[in-house]
Amino acid sequence: MPEYKGMVQPVRATPDEMRKIFAEPVPDEQKPEKAIEYLDEIRKKFRSFVVAMESCVKCGQCAENCHTYLGTRDPNNIPANRAELIRKIYRRYFTLEGRWFGKLVGAEDISLDVIEQWYSYFYQCSQCRRCAHVCPFGIDTCEVTFIGRQLLHWLGITPKLHAAVGGAMEKVGNHTGLPKPGIVDTLEFMSEEIMDEFGVEVEFPVDKPDSDIIYIPSSADFLLNPYTLMGAGMFFTYIGANWCIPSNVTEAGNFGLLFDQYYTQRGNVNRLLNAAHELNAKKIVWGECGHGWRAAKMYVPSLADRPVRWPLTHVHDEAAELIRRGELKLNPENNPEPVTLHDPCNYVRACGLNDNMRTIMNAVTVDFREMNPHGVDNFCCGGGSGILFDDPEMYQRRIQLSQKKADQVRATGVGKDGNGILCAPCSICKAQLYPMVEEHELGVHVHGLIDLLAKALVWK
Amino acid sequence: MPCLTVNGVDIELDEDGFMIDPDLWNEDVARAFADSEGISELNEDHWKVINYLRDYFKQYHIAPMVRKLCQETSCSLKYIYDLFPSGPAKGACKLAGLPKPTGCV
Repeated sequence: MPEYKGMVQPVRATPDEMRKIFAEPVPDEQKPEKAIEYLDEIRKKFRSFVVAMESCVKCGQCAENCHTYLGTRDPNNIPANRAELIRKIYRRYFTLEGRWFGKLVGAEDISLDVIEQWYSYFYQCSQCRRCAHVCPFGIDTCEVTFIGRQLLHWLGITPKLHAAVGGAMEKVGNHTGLPKPGIVDTLEFMSEEIMDEFGVEVEFPVDKPDSDIIYIPSSADFLLNPYTLMGAGMFFTYIGANWCIPSNVTEAGNFGLLFDQYYTQRGNVNRLLNAAHELNAKKIVWGECGHGWRAAKMYVPSLADRPVRWPLTHVHDEAAELIRRGELKLNPENNPEPVTLHDPCNYVRACGLNDNMRTIMNAVTVDFREMNPHGVDNFCCGGGSGILFDDPEMYQRRIQLSQKKADQVRATGVGKDGNGILCAPCSICKAQLYPMVEEHELGVHVHGLIDLLAKALVWK
Repeated sequence: MPCLTVNGVDIELDEDGFMIDPDLWNEDVARAFADSEGISELNEDHWKVINYLRDYFKQYHIAPMVRKLCQETSCSLKYIYDLFPSGPAKGACKLAGLPKPTGCV
């Protein structure tokens, strides 16, 4: 069971697994010294981080707004305190008062214990940015978690799950390790399923040159989320799009955002742009993946190594625009069940998808009930930033982290008769909520949003 | 590294109990995994699921979509959970000697 001095920790990648993603683990005796060297480098580059280090007054506003703290009641999971785990080191080495007065001003020497503490707490944070949203100083504590995880990665400490995802991306271009024959076989199966269930002919072109649209699905859709994959195919077929799925980047996620914003994140961006270039695509449309859409929409322009000549949109943006223009014929009665919407944090607090998701939801369902709070104020599912660890200890922690979400879903009453739908249009949210709706006995099925849209389409 | 010994052969497992080298799999290995998963006996339906997973993996180097597994074996997802209490990925795939699925699954 992964635990260090009473702190839960995810299973970590072996040195060999780290090397597969081009990271060389630092020997333990050198870790403290290297941590300071890397921290120094990073603080000079990221003003957002320095603002977080210098400005917090510990007002406590973030505490009750963090689902991790609400679920665990561990004081180190209060966002201000979590940031303090790095701040005490920052203060010791990079401020005058810290160098002179040390512990008297809350500064602390770096040690392996501190680094292990980072590993425990920066991987309990979901990077959901709800604390940033309520901070009166506008401190984005997520940036601190980003940097904590970056330092850990450079030291050679990365969860096995994240490193495996990085390795699979290097190898085949998606997180689940799907090679092209598996992609094609699953898509053919989806075509058959659509014919059986909806009676329409839908093809899923793969690697089709000169496509107007390349669609970037989450690879988890190929294993766990059939209706999301079918939904995208049905939507593009319905609008008569010239589209395809690129087998070289069958992945909407970019875990680089979550553990390595240098090599891994940039590598994934360039892999994407290479695929768009090779297929001579005109536009890139993103599938249902929260962090991945943030990584694409907000980071591609600055991480690309070339002018980005492809418009980058989300499938929800595309669908909402067509609904507003009256170009989709929809029958909301096809989704008669009570539905509530879990807003993926990155969609609403980073990418402005709030209104478009509701435009779709209102057009395709008859009994849509909002959670409270919702939209930009929504709480995380508890799996955000890929903390989908499933060893027994961390799995128990995931149940705690989803407690707030469970309370919210229950309060809507959608699961009262056992036939409710919890719409969670993001692969991490889905992977977290599939087991969590059972653990909390919520009486709902988890679906994506494009799933519901496809069911409501009225075919000519 | 954890290890499972079957018929005198040491089989290396990862931290989650999945086989490192799928080529070492045989039916006795599946039975040994069944013990550790609390499955008392592997019946015909267990083998149907295990063999389908193995055949699919041999051909495509990946586990099938869960929905396809259910259809091709005529087992509902609920029934698969009855057969393999840890579920299709963590239970059935483990017994079939497949690597642990990665990503948002």
